[in-house]
Amino acid sequence: MSTSSAISVQGLTKDFRVGLRGIKLRAVDNLSLEIPRGQVFGLLGPNGCGKSTTLKIVLGLIPATSGSISILGSPSATSEARQRTGFLPEAPYFHKFLTGRELVQYCARLSGVPAEKVNEAVEASLELAAMTEAASRPIGTYSKGMLQRIGLAQAIVHDPELVILDEPTAGVDPVGSAAIGRMINAMRAKGKTIVLCSHLLGQVEQVCDRVAIMDRGRLVLEGRVDEVLAQRDRHVITVADLTPQARQAAEAALAAHGATVTSITHPRRSLEDLFRELVTGSRDA
Amino acid sequence: MHRVSPWVVASLLLLGAGAYSETSWKGVRQAVPEISRKDLEPTLGQGVLLGILGGLRTVVADATWLRSYVFWERRDRAGCEALMKTACALDPRSRFFWENTGYAVGYDFAHWEIRRRGGYAKVAPDIQEGIFRRYAQLGLAIFEDGVEHTGGNSGILISAGQLAEIKLKDNLLAAAYYRRATQAKTVPWFAYFMCARTMWEAGQKKEAYEWYRTQWLGKLKKDEDGAPDDLERLRFMEDELKVPVQLRIPRQTWEK
Amino acid sequence: MNARLTRTSWIARITFLEAIRQRFFAFLLVLSAVMVVSSVSLRFMDFGHSELKFVADFAFGGMFLFGSVLALVMTAQLFFAEIENRTALTLLAKPLSRTEFLLGKFLGTWAVLGVFVFSIAFLQGVILWSRTQELIVLAAETGRVAPDFSVSGLASFAVLQWLRLGVVAAMVLMVSAVARTFLFTVIVGAMAIVAGQLQWLAQEALLKPSDASVVTKSLLWISSRVIPNLQQFNIGDTLVLDPTAISGAAVWSVVLSGLFYLVAFLALASLAFRRREI
Repeated sequence: MSTSSAISVQGLTKDFRVGLRGIKLRAVDNLSLEIPRGQVFGLLGPNGCGKSTTLKIVLGLIPATSGSISILGSPSATSEARQRTGFLPEAPYFHKFLTGRELVQYCARLSGVPAEKVNEAVEASLELAAMTEAASRPIGTYSKGMLQRIGLAQAIVHDPELVILDEPTAGVDPVGSAAIGRMINAMRAKGKTIVLCSHLLGQVEQVCDRVAIMDRGRLVLEGRVDEVLAQRDRHVITVADLTPQARQAAEAALAAHGATVTSITHPRRSLEDLFRELVTGSRDA
Repeated sequence: MHRVSPWVVASLLLLGAGAYSETSWKGVRQAVPEISRKDLEPTLGQGVLLGILGGLRTVVADATWLRSYVFWERRDRAGCEALMKTACALDPRSRFFWENTGYAVGYDFAHWEIRRRGGYAKVAPDIQEGIFRRYAQLGLAIFEDGVEHTGGNSGILISAGQLAEIKLKDNLLAAAYYRRATQAKTVPWFAYFMCARTMWEAGQKKEAYEWYRTQWLGKLKKDEDGAPDDLERLRFMEDELKVPVQLRIPRQTWEK
Repeated sequence: MNARLTRTSWIARITFLEAIRQRFFAFLLVLSAVMVVSSVSLRFMDFGHSELKFVADFAFGGMFLFGSVLALVMTAQLFFAEIENRTALTLLAKPLSRTEFLLGKFLGTWAVLGVFVFSIAFLQGVILWSRTQELIVLAAETGRVAPDFSVSGLASFAVLQWLRLGVVAAMVLMVSAVARTFLFTVIVGAMAIVAGQLQWLAQEALLKPSDASVVTKSLLWISSRVIPNLQQFNIGDTLVLDPTAISGAAVWSVVLSGLFYLVAFLALASLAFRRREI
């Protein structure tokens, strides 16, 4: 197990038995992945690709069929690993009668924050999630964005080293979405590792350091955002100065049209384009 | 060391709990008269009803009794008997249910049977007598059950005595019931006289007087309710039996 | 160990707060209370039972019937709400074991059932005491013996009912741990309660000598071991109105029996829940 990785997945496979005849459905197929510490890691894929299943196995909510996972050097699904992990599920639901503060206190106690430090930890996480003002209101009165932010607060109240966010901006307006993006950056600045699952590729492109793309249970791509998005077989020519011969020819050609070549660089496509090229389509379609 | 599967441990725990519950059940079942009836076995439906009702037995017993009246009105012997016995099973400590079930079986059912066979004019007197006797025996069996479950209630014993007297015309049997009534925890003042009277009418005059006298001197003399009336009857017996003056009950200061 | 207790107690606390707020709980509590209070005005229906027995029976019935419904439905609902709303996902991703989660759910539910039972028992005690005072005055006028009831017997009965509902809740939790839907849990749980109420018939059959076949005897033996005898808890009449008819040792043995069943069902529920995919 790699101790420099926040999450180390080796040969992970998960089969589900479906129906009366117990037909096997392979949700994750021999996945191996290293998520380094101190970075924001985007885990992408169409619906049904196995990323939520992978996260659940990482968190010990479902057992793997084969393979191993470690979190911050410890085997996953142990109390020690979960103590150092925070999790915000997709479309979080919390007890409506609790206030935001009570919820975070509850989660703090479950996560092992000592009684004498609970108040301080709660206030710190509420402040980071920009929920201090609304913390005294019942959760039943919260908007979607506030729910996501209080969810974030409960995920980080025990100051975990690893934070897993599953669709943190789903259904949230652009303003709220931007706020969550800022919170993610703030957590990274504190040295935390964030694993982000999202369909909002534009946000992932902005926030993440590394991305992995899954399709039909397999890893199809993994690497730094800048590296995976660059197209090395293509060049962008900014017409300024070229090599003498080509430049001359280009210049002559362009000059004839009154243009000036300013630079020649490699072209960059968008993450969304890359995503569409690699995956074969959503299972929901 | 071979590790025992936690499933095995948990299953053994459950089996152990089940085994222990036999012991705990034996300890409490005797205290629940509804459950500890010997005759419950053949009436499995009653057992099921008892099991399901839990704490509502008294209320359901009352409702069942009320329902039995509908069958009584229709002269439906089977339905009436079933519901009345169910009420007894649901609340076996209630004198009311036993007593009235005994009355219905011992007195009313015989008449319904005769009417069903064509009426008093059609059914021969000896057959009528047989029917009365048969239902009276059934009624007495119910009274006996009631006595057992009510801890020897004197009212039920008196009712049994009356049934034996009226329908079986068995004064000795009636006297036995009245005597048992006088030994109950609470005894109506007239029970002693009824016992003595039926013994007398059965021909056991001397025994009736001796017994009645013993009871009067021991218990009844101080009783304001019946003491003067009982003494009057004892005087009658003394006169009839020509008991010598010196052997009679001494004259009481309040005696006229 | 302290940390485990803390986590379990927090789950129990939140479960209790969630349950006590439910309208279903308030509805059944009010219904039972009305049933107990109405017993006094329904005395005309009393066919010669001891009047205190008639009044007490309403409370016994309320505790039994509504308590069973509450234990069945509320336990299943509180469990499946966590699964369906996916709050279980959030909670189980924390350093909280499944056993602690399940135990916390059980303790929170059992606490609410305790509120129900002891509230009804208290009301029953007030009604019985009030009626007893009236009957004492009447008895003095007519020269009869005044009826009485045992307060300690009533308290003992309330504890037994609470324990019985705990056994029911533990059984339902065991079913919930393997069931996929709330409806299935309620149906199977209801059947289990009825089986528990009738289990005494199997025990009676085993206690008496008979010429039943080996297969029948084996089935009776298995059912008497696996299904709890819930009938042994229904000794309210005796405890409240005739406490001398039952010994303290017998009552304690029922308590022990209930605790054994509770632990066994919770252990099985925990093992089943560990294998469940959330």
